[in-house]
Amino acid sequence: MSTPTRSSVPAATSESAVAPAFLSSAWRIYDLSLGQMLWSRRTVFMAFVVGGPVVVAVILRLLVTMDLVSGRGMVDGRPIIVDGPIIFGLMIWGFYLRLSVPLLGVFYGTALMADEVEDKTITYLFTRPVSRGAVLFGKYLAYLASTGLVVLPSVMLVFFLVVPLLGGDIGSNFPSLVTDLALLTVGLAVYGALFALIGAWFKRPLLTGLVFIFGWEPIVVVVPGYMKRLTVSYYLQGLVPHAMPQEGLVSTILSILQANEVLPSAAVSVIGLGLILVVGLGLATWLVERREYVLEQ
Amino acid sequence: MTPIHDQSYRRYTGVRQEPGTAWLVIAATGIRTVLTKKFFWLVLLAAWGQFFVRAVMFYLSANFSNLDLLAPSVETFRQFFEIQEIFVLFVTVYVGSGLIANDRRSNALQIYLSKPLTRAEYVAGKLGTLLFFLLLVTLVPALMLLFLEMMFSASLAFVGANLFLLPAITLYALVEVLLSAFTMLALSSLSTSARYTAMLYAGVVLFTAAVFGIVNGITNSSSLAWLSFRANLDQIGDVIFRLQPRFESPWLLSVVVVALLIGLSVWVLERRVRGVEVVT
Repeated sequence: MSTPTRSSVPAATSESAVAPAFLSSAWRIYDLSLGQMLWSRRTVFMAFVVGGPVVVAVILRLLVTMDLVSGRGMVDGRPIIVDGPIIFGLMIWGFYLRLSVPLLGVFYGTALMADEVEDKTITYLFTRPVSRGAVLFGKYLAYLASTGLVVLPSVMLVFFLVVPLLGGDIGSNFPSLVTDLALLTVGLAVYGALFALIGAWFKRPLLTGLVFIFGWEPIVVVVPGYMKRLTVSYYLQGLVPHAMPQEGLVSTILSILQANEVLPSAAVSVIGLGLILVVGLGLATWLVERREYVLEQ
Repeated sequence: MTPIHDQSYRRYTGVRQEPGTAWLVIAATGIRTVLTKKFFWLVLLAAWGQFFVRAVMFYLSANFSNLDLLAPSVETFRQFFEIQEIFVLFVTVYVGSGLIANDRRSNALQIYLSKPLTRAEYVAGKLGTLLFFLLLVTLVPALMLLFLEMMFSASLAFVGANLFLLPAITLYALVEVLLSAFTMLALSSLSTSARYTAMLYAGVVLFTAAVFGIVNGITNSSSLAWLSFRANLDQIGDVIFRLQPRFESPWLLSVVVVALLIGLSVWVLERRVRGVEVVT
């Protein structure tokens, strides 16, 4: 029986002991997950969520072209004029920030680990020489990339379809589009981090997520006191005025709301969202590192 | 040497059930399964929260004359259903999303349908499970509230003056739960993932509401309320409770949309719930 030579042992040990760094591991997982997220049946859901506003914008454009929508109306006996940029602001708030972003966050965020557990493939990931936290982080990056790649072009399309309507001007409103895109990216990142935490923490993450966005958030936002600070939408609302038309009644109402602390200032919003993002993702990573996943037989 | 277990042919010694009752087995099993989940009890408790609050309000108004403000009216019962809408969504998603999708995922549909069980019975059983829980958060508490009002006030005056409330509560609850249950079952039959089905349902309900909200904001008119899943129910609810319809769109159009959605769901279920996929 031969004994290992003195020179061969350290070489083998040094090769196997060097585990890939956290970021490079996360990048590998990102690379693997991005394709899975983009080319799956989920894309149908994503297309439905972000394609809907585009369809509405196309229909609206056709109606305006055929002079079936004038943008003039009466509210409480006062005449009001709705132009393209105002409609775009409405769509950003109603379709994207209040609906698509939370829905995509809940759908993908809660599924980051749950999918692997459900498909019983988590074992294959966890037996690789990468940290569990890197698996979650890589998947989170893939979620951001895949949703961003679909949501942001949809917003661009809606912008170019809607803003020129009823006397709107693309050039002067372009900065608001950039703000909107940034806002949506922040929304996707924060909701994704929060729901990644819920996905890592709860056994029934999807219902918990739905209760949070459609039960907790709408109720708590109108409750006086500090309760509304425990929502994401409160901080997102604080950034919305920059994405809305800067002149007219809307901005006046928003500035009054901000002055009375119904809406937070931009700085408070950024800090609040940053905190949720970091704490959410950090806790989710910590939980995944420590949790024992028992697969159902 | 005697065999440990005789696996040869044996006669069936059980009781033969009449045809058409097998759905009860599926429904009862489904109900029992859901009731074992602790989280669902929390959802149920939250859904009954409004009932407890209203019950206290009814008690106070019946016993303290200076609290007439809290006295029940037809609008109270209409509002009760409006607030319950969110719980109808949660219960539909929680109970309904996996009802057929999980069977499709584990290929249990073929096993079910290889038993003396028709496709209609299978769907009826699954529907029964969902309807049971949906009625538990809509019809049951509403009827109990009406009963409590009578008991607290020790008078039939309110019920007598609003006798239509009894059929109105029943009819509206049935319309609401049948629409939710059929739509969810149809979506569940389209997928093998309960999570995907749940998101699709929530997406449809909330997206159609958002579309209506935007269109309403742009045109200052609610004549396109029929576009929204929820607005149709609200419109029908107002008519059933003899209140002024809140939207400009004709309520009959909302009835047609609801009937079409249920019909479409039945058609999807008929196409998707099959034991063997036959490729022609």
